[in-house]
Amino acid sequence: MTDKLEEVLMPSMGEGVNEATLVKWLKNVGDKVEKNEALLEVSTDKVDTEITSPHSGFLIKTYAKEQDTVMVNNIIAYISESADAKAPDTVAAPTPSSPASVESSTAPSSQAPLTTPPPASHAPIMSQNGPIRTSPLVRKMARDMNLNLAAVAGRGLNGRITKPDVLNFIGKIGGQIQQPQATAAMSTSASLATEKQGGKEYLDGVEVRREPMTKMRQLIADHMVQSVQTSPHVTTTFEMDLGNIVKQREQNKEAFKREHNFNLTYTHFLAHATVQAIKKNMVVNVSVDHHDVLWKDDINLGIAVALESGLIVPVVKQSNDLSLSELAYKINDLVTRARGKKLKPDEVQGGTFSITNPGLYGSLNSNPIINQPQVAILNVGAIIKRPVVINDDIAIRPLIQIGLTFDHRVVDGEGGAKYLADLKEIIEGYEAKL
Amino acid sequence: MTTKYDLAVIGSGPGGEVGAIRAAQLGLKVALIEKSKHLGGTCLNVGCIPTKALLQAATTYDKLKHAEEQGFKTGTIEYQWDQIMARKEGIVDQQRKGLRFLMKKNKIDTYEGHGRFKDRTHIGITDAGGKETVIEAKHTLIATGSRVREFSFAPSNDKNIMTSDTILFIKEVPKTLAVVGGGVVGTEFASLFARFGCEVTIVELAPQIIPFEDAETVKELTRSLKKQGIKIETATKLTKLDEKGSHVELTVEGQKPRKFDKVLLSIGREPVTQDLGLDKIGLKTEDGGFINTDEHYRTTTANIFAIGDVLKTPALAHTASAEALHAVEVIAGHHPPVIDYACNPNAIYSYPEIASIGDTEAKLKEKGTEYKVAKFPFAPMAKAKIEGMTEGFIKILFEPKYREILGVHIVHAKATEMIGEFVLGKVLETTVDEIGFAIHPHPTLSETIMETAHAAVGGPIHM
Repeated sequence: MTDKLEEVLMPSMGEGVNEATLVKWLKNVGDKVEKNEALLEVSTDKVDTEITSPHSGFLIKTYAKEQDTVMVNNIIAYISESADAKAPDTVAAPTPSSPASVESSTAPSSQAPLTTPPPASHAPIMSQNGPIRTSPLVRKMARDMNLNLAAVAGRGLNGRITKPDVLNFIGKIGGQIQQPQATAAMSTSASLATEKQGGKEYLDGVEVRREPMTKMRQLIADHMVQSVQTSPHVTTTFEMDLGNIVKQREQNKEAFKREHNFNLTYTHFLAHATVQAIKKNMVVNVSVDHHDVLWKDDINLGIAVALESGLIVPVVKQSNDLSLSELAYKINDLVTRARGKKLKPDEVQGGTFSITNPGLYGSLNSNPIINQPQVAILNVGAIIKRPVVINDDIAIRPLIQIGLTFDHRVVDGEGGAKYLADLKEIIEGYEAKL
Repeated sequence: MTTKYDLAVIGSGPGGEVGAIRAAQLGLKVALIEKSKHLGGTCLNVGCIPTKALLQAATTYDKLKHAEEQGFKTGTIEYQWDQIMARKEGIVDQQRKGLRFLMKKNKIDTYEGHGRFKDRTHIGITDAGGKETVIEAKHTLIATGSRVREFSFAPSNDKNIMTSDTILFIKEVPKTLAVVGGGVVGTEFASLFARFGCEVTIVELAPQIIPFEDAETVKELTRSLKKQGIKIETATKLTKLDEKGSHVELTVEGQKPRKFDKVLLSIGREPVTQDLGLDKIGLKTEDGGFINTDEHYRTTTANIFAIGDVLKTPALAHTASAEALHAVEVIAGHHPPVIDYACNPNAIYSYPEIASIGDTEAKLKEKGTEYKVAKFPFAPMAKAKIEGMTEGFIKILFEPKYREILGVHIVHAKATEMIGEFVLGKVLETTVDEIGFAIHPHPTLSETIMETAHAAVGGPIHM
């Protein structure tokens, strides 16, 4: 037994992930924790995930509160083999003030506004941890751009905010800062004029209860608005006969379950067919950069998964040549881990085409929003048995409506229809090669 | 038994020495390996310190010769070269002793010998007698520095073709000296010997001496050096050097051979990385022998770091020190901010001096950065007249919108002592507004800094 303190750092969670918001401590100070046992839950701009403990011992002290945003590699806790070990009150690399914790000292609100009225030129800007370290240049830039420096993470000596930090911050919020008075909320929707009376808040006379969006919800909101503003969305829908796939699933599902220990679902068949159709129509797999088209050889298939807290789209990388069972295995693994908040950030990055399946809940067809910077998303409706006319006879067939929503900047109506026609042919003639 | 260390530092120059001390302060067990019998590397033994000691002697000589301008009657001023050299060696020796003391104080084990990697965690140190000692180190900092670069067609020798390593021990001031290469080293030696009465000619391949400095400060320096009697031949290529008994025959392209008593080859330096056993740790050097690292000075072999002249970053003593501090802090598990080379100052100790930080005008034009220029001369300043140092000016290049300082270029007898304010200013992202707003003591040379800042924003007061 020693009193030696072991550091717990905010781990790096992938390229371009510089900070994470602490969602929840899964252990309390004083609790015993085993190495690799889940210690806390964090939310990044890419994914929500659990962080496991790098050491065994007692959680001696924590340096970040729930909702704090912490830079990667900063100390967030100490663990020791001895329950009586003493940890310092503060840690060397300070936790940059998080938007939430700064704002909480003033009015309750969803998050710190990115912009504020210009601060008086020599008044120190305060965060919960005391004055924010900045520089004359940074203060001038902040005044000029109506920037709230409390929302900017400082990476200089002792957390000082420097010019690169400001440029990085402006880059992250997509240059909206250029328009004075713009706020983060405006990227999603205009701010609403509510009235406060007697501790209650009213919107057009109706009492409302204000609740901040989760980080994931905020990101979804911003992403959706941005996508609609970026891409002219067009949807076209085909009806397809799933009889062949139903039959093949029935024939294979028992053996598949025995061998792989999970169910072979229609989603797996449709995802596999989707990839084959993309290979014939690579234009739905591109990105648009201003007036350039960025072609991609890899088909990285995103599968939209509904979570309690929102929506996440894990990606099957390089799905071009995967067999049905390989693809099924990867989808099952990603979806299971997505629901258990066990995805790594790079597993939700790099998608080139997405599938959403509201048919699971009975939807016939839908108008999804494209997952930027992709240019198309496939929506899958419910499988419903219907009478159809085949060779002047009426037959009962399991039918499905499948639609493609595409970016008209780069895909025309003909291209979208051709994709679905190819998909229909693949689905109706599907031969399962597991 | 093999002694184990947290960190081995190879090379005790301003990089290695500083890195070793900070590492010890951070609680690491440190070994410092130096192949020479003296600690301190190029900087202390054959670089910064002895050259500045000699340059100071030239300045003192100059002042004494001009003391009559300040009301003194002096008669003939004579110098004693051997005494000047002895003072220089005395200063160097004191600093070496100081370094030994610091190593002891910080409980750093020093090894005299040539260090070579055996594998990623073992270094063999061969002493002058050929005996090898092996130590084990979790991390190693390569701080082996650089050596004088030579022409293959005209190697230096023990006689009249010299380098900075040998000319520092020259027995007397030569009558005539050709300086081949008008970079920092060449220009400083030219300024030194010219002031002791030597006829100096600088031969430089580039269109200006000190090619990386701002054209305007170099033009002012060139003008002053020429006035002091130094011949400067730029855009001139050396083709031949012949040792002819008591003198050297120097030929440049398109001209007849000329005779000089001595020739100084000052055409740059090259990294010392060839005989370190880098192949044993899987480390490949780039063209020219340079080592590649990430921004924390970690090489592609994870426990091996490298700093200073073995990198392509500016080959300056203070840069090596800063890099070493960063590297050992990372090794000790800290997270220091990465070094911003735009805040790395340059200092040239000729008379007058040049000191600079940030970009030159040429660089800003090349980058397409929008900038404005503020310039103020020393001539109108009272203290400059009092000191008898009216030559030169300060030039600030700044961004027009927020007036961020992009580059500062000073040419003046005391330029190197004045650049520090701008180093701090730039590190703290001070704009020219704050520099002008800050009260500077009167009368000083540093008031000129404030005047230049006024020139940038509203207009200078005293012009």
